Amino acid sequence: MTTTDLAAGRLEARERPRAGAALDRWRVPLTIAVLAVLPFVLPSQALAVNVLIYGLFTVGFNLLFGYTGLLSFGHAAFFGTGAYLTGMAIAHLGFGWFGAMLTGVLGASLLSVVIGALSIRTRGIYFCMVTLALAQLVYYVALQASGWTGGENGLRGFTVAKADFFGGFSVNLLNPLAKYYFIMAFAALALWFVSRVLNSPFGAAIEAVRENETRARACGFDVERTKLLSFILSGALCGLAGTLSALHLSIVPLDALSVHTSSIVVMMTMLGGAGSFFGPFVGALVFLLIEDVASLWTSHWQLIVGVIFILFVLFLPKGIWGSLIVLARRAGRDK
Amino acid sequence: MDLELILMQLFSGLALGAILVMVALGLTIVFGMLGIVNFAHGALFMVGAYAGLWIAAQTGSFWWALLVAPIAIAILGMVIERFLIRPLYGRTPDDPLLLTFGLGYVLVESVRITFGTDGIPFSAPEALQGVVDLGVGYFPIYRLFVVGVVALVLLLLWVALEKTRFGLIVRAGARDPLIMKVLGVDVSRLWLLVFGLGVGLTALGGVLAAPMRNVSPEMGTLVLAEAFVVTVIGGMGSLLGAVVAGLLVGVAVSMTALFAPEMATIVMFGLMAFILLVRPQGLFGRPGV
Amino acid sequence: MTALMSVHNVGRSFGGFVALADISAEFERNKVTAVIGPNGAGKSTFFNVLSGVLQPSAGSIRFKGQEMAGLKQHRFAHLGIARSYQITNLFPELSVEENVRVAAQALKTRYDVLSHRDRYPELAHKAEAALGEVGLLHRRTRRARDLAHGEQRALEIAIALVADPELLLLDEPTAGMGPEETKQMVALLERLAADRTILLVEHKMKMILGLSDRILVLHHGRLIADGTPAAVQADTQVRRVYLGQNDGYA
Repeated sequence: MTTTDLAAGRLEARERPRAGAALDRWRVPLTIAVLAVLPFVLPSQALAVNVLIYGLFTVGFNLLFGYTGLLSFGHAAFFGTGAYLTGMAIAHLGFGWFGAMLTGVLGASLLSVVIGALSIRTRGIYFCMVTLALAQLVYYVALQASGWTGGENGLRGFTVAKADFFGGFSVNLLNPLAKYYFIMAFAALALWFVSRVLNSPFGAAIEAVRENETRARACGFDVERTKLLSFILSGALCGLAGTLSALHLSIVPLDALSVHTSSIVVMMTMLGGAGSFFGPFVGALVFLLIEDVASLWTSHWQLIVGVIFILFVLFLPKGIWGSLIVLARRAGRDK
Repeated sequence: MDLELILMQLFSGLALGAILVMVALGLTIVFGMLGIVNFAHGALFMVGAYAGLWIAAQTGSFWWALLVAPIAIAILGMVIERFLIRPLYGRTPDDPLLLTFGLGYVLVESVRITFGTDGIPFSAPEALQGVVDLGVGYFPIYRLFVVGVVALVLLLLWVALEKTRFGLIVRAGARDPLIMKVLGVDVSRLWLLVFGLGVGLTALGGVLAAPMRNVSPEMGTLVLAEAFVVTVIGGMGSLLGAVVAGLLVGVAVSMTALFAPEMATIVMFGLMAFILLVRPQGLFGRPGV
Repeated sequence: MTALMSVHNVGRSFGGFVALADISAEFERNKVTAVIGPNGAGKSTFFNVLSGVLQPSAGSIRFKGQEMAGLKQHRFAHLGIARSYQITNLFPELSVEENVRVAAQALKTRYDVLSHRDRYPELAHKAEAALGEVGLLHRRTRRARDLAHGEQRALEIAIALVADPELLLLDEPTAGMGPEETKQMVALLERLAADRTILLVEHKMKMILGLSDRILVLHHGRLIADGTPAAVQADTQVRRVYLGQNDGYA
């Protein structure tokens, strides 16, 4: 505990690689730039749109799991609710595209208040089980309310051909590339928002809660409220991903609310690396690429995904991007 | 609504609940001892049902299936514990959970490859088909049989837990893992056995459930969610809670089906939400878990 | 001058087990009070009750005239009570600086979602001051988990200190430390004691006798002695249950 140790001080300054810091500062523009060229480098545009939508879904999930430390197995509830409400607002209520999106995001946020308030009363492993069960509740409600949701067949009949903006400007959503950039615009906004949240004092608070709940409480954080707010932000982002998926597909399959959808987002996060900014998109890209390639020669691609996932949990628990960060940090220290 | 119908439905709920008790008990025993939630639990229930199906087809006897399938799947469970879960002890509790979750995927897909994606009917042996008159009404024999088997298993389990050294260790360990060290117990062997037991119980549930519903690769998903509901209601880590809540959920689902069939599945999740509101630790759980 | 904190007939039981019974004491400003007692005497329970981790089952705790029983734990920090833990209890993956900064932030802003952290420069200054006080400035960018044990203990104190608390509860600040590290920690505590109210649990008697103005002795959950170090040392009951019994404590 010497008060000054200049030699050590100089060593510390080098510890964070400069490339890492720059990457951090430019993370939003960088991600958007990569997303912008995605339709031209990936095998298909359909794949690119999916990376966008599921990437955003994973970003929202990662806010709760990676940064707040709460593993939810029920995030399909928010994705699916966002999608269903958007579709229902257009199909049943005649809303415009923007009003429908707003309905979807607000509805998903509202649902996340309810599910969040219930599930954060429990901790740890219990939390995973409760979120999964509550999401199943939403699934069965949607299944039963077939008059509104189309039940097992999913919701159909709400194609949005073009999106009008103020001032007469409009985007032709029947053109795949135009639709891609339309969706990307919202994803970019959401990314910018998430980046701000992570840089904000609240971003520090959720990390403190993740790292040590007891200590965070002793420091003066209201842990329950912090968790709930993070849960709601996460739910809203996943709801946004859902609304975009509805606009993209023009149908909402019942599967959007299923355990399968909740699982996909967990796997994508783990593959990419929980608790890192780029991890979710890396994870979504890798997952969808595996699906794309593997499904060419077998209909049982989920077996491959499952095995890869198990290998990741065993040997690469920090995921692809998370492991890269560790490597970079180590390299920076050895210099 | 006449009394006989209500009684029958009540009884049918007990049979449904009995299956849930098997699944939830397996989950709870593993959680109590190893501190992990096995997300492949539902998939192993399903694998148990398929194993029963296969053995019954090979031997032509339901009884062999009932006896051999749970033991075979329990051994599979021990292999899983030994080679996949054991490397994860000492990491965060999320890691075994995630691993078993991935394993569930692999199991479901493997079954799809082996047995196809469609559901397969599985009929009870002739001796257990039909109904029996119990004076207050006619009850399906097979459901009576299920309740009987589960009651027997519970009795055996109770004897094993209360009257043997193994049981003493399990109970002590569930309450305070540190005591294991004090007693000088070989923890890794014990955990292997406990995991096998937990998996065996859910597999038995799978075999028993098979004649009551179609056997399909997806049958484990709903069961896993149901088992979670039961565990949350009963109280995490409480064996008594798992039994009481399992029967409660079974009866609640089946009674709701009588009055409002579309609400049948929904009601148990509602029940769970209610318990979370008024008693977050569950009916028999200790606060602070 | 009224006491900073006064404890009246406080008790705490777990099921049938009485961990703490009928404790009354007043704590005056700028004094160092040590809480001692054999293992299982109720020291940890006492600290947990004073810091809001546990609710007392009986009695009242008044801090600056306000009743504390029934308040949520995080409110204690806001009212001016900070604590350290016996087992090192940090934010392991965060940097040393973030550990302290986030602790300072808890009292300033908790739900600000949109402005940048740099918008609160005073938090960084506070963190720097606290780290300077415990001698950890040169480690500020290191991850907390990578620190040496003694450094982690110092960080533990810095986290409590950065809140600028009026009452500092220190649970075995020198636990697991070697003689050299202990000496440095004692020097730090002496500096802190100059203008702060400190309550500490410790086993190292020499250190307690040198540092404290007053000693409370707990035994089986009861307060059996309360007085100056000299008075407590002379107390026959204390000698019988505690001091004479184990050379390790002396």
